[in-house]
Amino acid sequence: MAEIYKKETQLKDYSKDVLLDFYRTMVKIRKFDEHLIRLMQEGKVSGFYHSGIGSEGLSAGSIRNVLRDEDYIYYNHRGCNQKIAKGVPLSKIYGDFLGTTEGTTRGLGAGIVHSADPSRGVLGQAGTIGSQLGIGIGTAYASKFKGTDQVTVIYFGDGAASREMLHGSLNWAGLYNLPVIYICENNEYAISCHVSETHAVKEHIADWAYGYGISNCVVDGNDVLLMHEATKEAVERAKRGEGPTFIEAQTFRHRGHFEGDPYDYVDGELLKDWKENKDPIRNFVSRMLLDKIAEKQELKTIDQEVEQEILEAIEKAESAPQPEAGRIYEGLFA
Amino acid sequence: MRTINMRTALLEALNEEMERDETTLVFGEDVGKFGGINKVTEGLYEKYGNRVFDTPIAEPTIVAAAVGMAITGNARPVPELQFGDFAGIAFDEIFNKMGKWRFMHGGQMEMPITLRLPVGIAGGAGPEHSQSPQALFMHGPGLQIVIPSTPYDAKGLLKTAIRDNNAVLFFEHKLLYDMKGEVPEEEYLIPFGKADIKREGSDVTVIATALQVHTALEAAEELAADGTEVEVVDPRTLAPLDMETILSSVRKTGRVLIVHEESKTGGSGAEIAAQIQEEALFDLAAPIRRIGSPDVPIAQNIYLEQFYRPSKEQIVQAVNELMEY
Ligand SMILES: Cc1ncc(C[n+]2csc(CCOP(=O)(O)OP(=O)(O)O)c2C)c(N)n1
Ligand SMILES: [Mg+2]
Repeated sequence: MAEIYKKETQLKDYSKDVLLDFYRTMVKIRKFDEHLIRLMQEGKVSGFYHSGIGSEGLSAGSIRNVLRDEDYIYYNHRGCNQKIAKGVPLSKIYGDFLGTTEGTTRGLGAGIVHSADPSRGVLGQAGTIGSQLGIGIGTAYASKFKGTDQVTVIYFGDGAASREMLHGSLNWAGLYNLPVIYICENNEYAISCHVSETHAVKEHIADWAYGYGISNCVVDGNDVLLMHEATKEAVERAKRGEGPTFIEAQTFRHRGHFEGDPYDYVDGELLKDWKENKDPIRNFVSRMLLDKIAEKQELKTIDQEVEQEILEAIEKAESAPQPEAGRIYEGLFA
Repeated sequence: MRTINMRTALLEALNEEMERDETTLVFGEDVGKFGGINKVTEGLYEKYGNRVFDTPIAEPTIVAAAVGMAITGNARPVPELQFGDFAGIAFDEIFNKMGKWRFMHGGQMEMPITLRLPVGIAGGAGPEHSQSPQALFMHGPGLQIVIPSTPYDAKGLLKTAIRDNNAVLFFEHKLLYDMKGEVPEEEYLIPFGKADIKREGSDVTVIATALQVHTALEAAEELAADGTEVEVVDPRTLAPLDMETILSSVRKTGRVLIVHEESKTGGSGAEIAAQIQEEALFDLAAPIRRIGSPDVPIAQNIYLEQFYRPSKEQIVQAVNELMEY
């Protein structure tokens, strides 16, 4: 059955630039989220928001310094973690939430799903969670058909993994030996339901991949370097033409399913443990300081730079106009 | 009479029917301890235990399982999909299985399912969480379609739906959950195929469903001040459709406007208009008018949403135009 991905990672095996890039990306994701929640509280953003705070390491590790612009991702609905890691400009993502013409959808509004940036391999997302499991398979098939070395990474939650579509997708991936990587963001909950209440597995969701002959592992998704190593192996496997990989990445939500969720179905002590002892950013900072990769001040400077970048992005997104009413009639057909 | 909101009215109906028939089962995503994302099933799990259960996120399986339960006669399933839009995910199970299984097998089984489907534009939920897909299913034989506009109708119709031995799609407009209305303490049922005249009038018939009934009533109020008397007819069930009530109103007024939040092309108004002209063309003084949402996906932007939802102003204008004939 699925094995726990284990590897001794050493900071000295990475360049300082790469390490600080992981750090900067995680901080960007978190601050983006915090500011978005502020904008919601100020009444500027409507609709649902599913915060991605607490899972930054998973996205930063599996995208930064391993995926190229031409590699495809299908992000999931939690936070904007993967879009940010893939480099979609922050002002464009904020624009999608604010519904201004700065957004990737030029004012239609996109919220947590439907931002797209094909130039960076971000081909969008389904409002019906898990539908990307089927669409992503087609994308990987097209790369193989065309003979490119592009890889497709599909992100989805533990809950989305209970969609019937997962099995159809795994069957194709295994059958056609497709260059696809499944990253199941297992934060244990789908709204109020614990994974143990809704999934029939031997032990892990990744166990399912076995039956389809697909390489798989379970990894600590809050360890950015471990996540990076696991994904890098999968990407190399795909590029060698050896087909798909299924990675189950373990993490936890710091906030409820949506903003406003009382989140009372989760044990308080458990949540505290995840926040205090398993925070991906905090733990990475401790390691960097311990190994003297960076000084506190240097990290603080990065924090300030990111904060500034975010404020400028919001400013740009907010100062763009709302679309004209006629916007809704544009773009249905090519 | 006491007033309660539609959410409470629906919950009362579920409670009463679960109490009445212990084969009634409620299931779906987060409908148990969490009480449903719209809190319509709140407290049922605590009361009825394993007759209320959370399912995996797998809409086709939810509906297919309901079919499999129903045809044994051992259970009366009342499943919920979190959004009516997800009927698209379970389309085969709804359209071909719920609707046709009994007929295909020579009528040897019954299909006592009430599938609850929250619908409608409600605060920036985007193209896949805001739709009103009910008309799709008017095209599918074997499905009864309920779409209440008030707490009173919602309760009486849901009770009828659950007791009915045929398949029911029960659409609930999300913006109506908090809307209050009079509901008696005593038990009552509302039969299917019985339209309700929400306001009487002699000049123009406005046929509206769900939230649009309320918009039509507001428009009627404004028009009355200018001397135009609008009759607001709420079909309440699209299948069966109470053409008798609709036609008698049309014959009285000679002018018809149909309003719904479904997109205009192929919306339920298209079918209603077609049936009216088949039966009462020469009673009409003016062409039948329809207002629906535009035939484009629903934008997430809350500012743009207003251009999808039919407005009081649109209704007033259309009625005034009809009055010019
Ligand atoms: C097909 C489908 N069913 C239900 C929903 C409603 N819904 C949105 S998020 C969610 C829970 C998802 O859980 P999971 O996949 O574990 O992701 P998480 O929210 O935990 O990140 C549900 C049920 C949906 N959007 N699409
Ligand atoms: Mg989850």
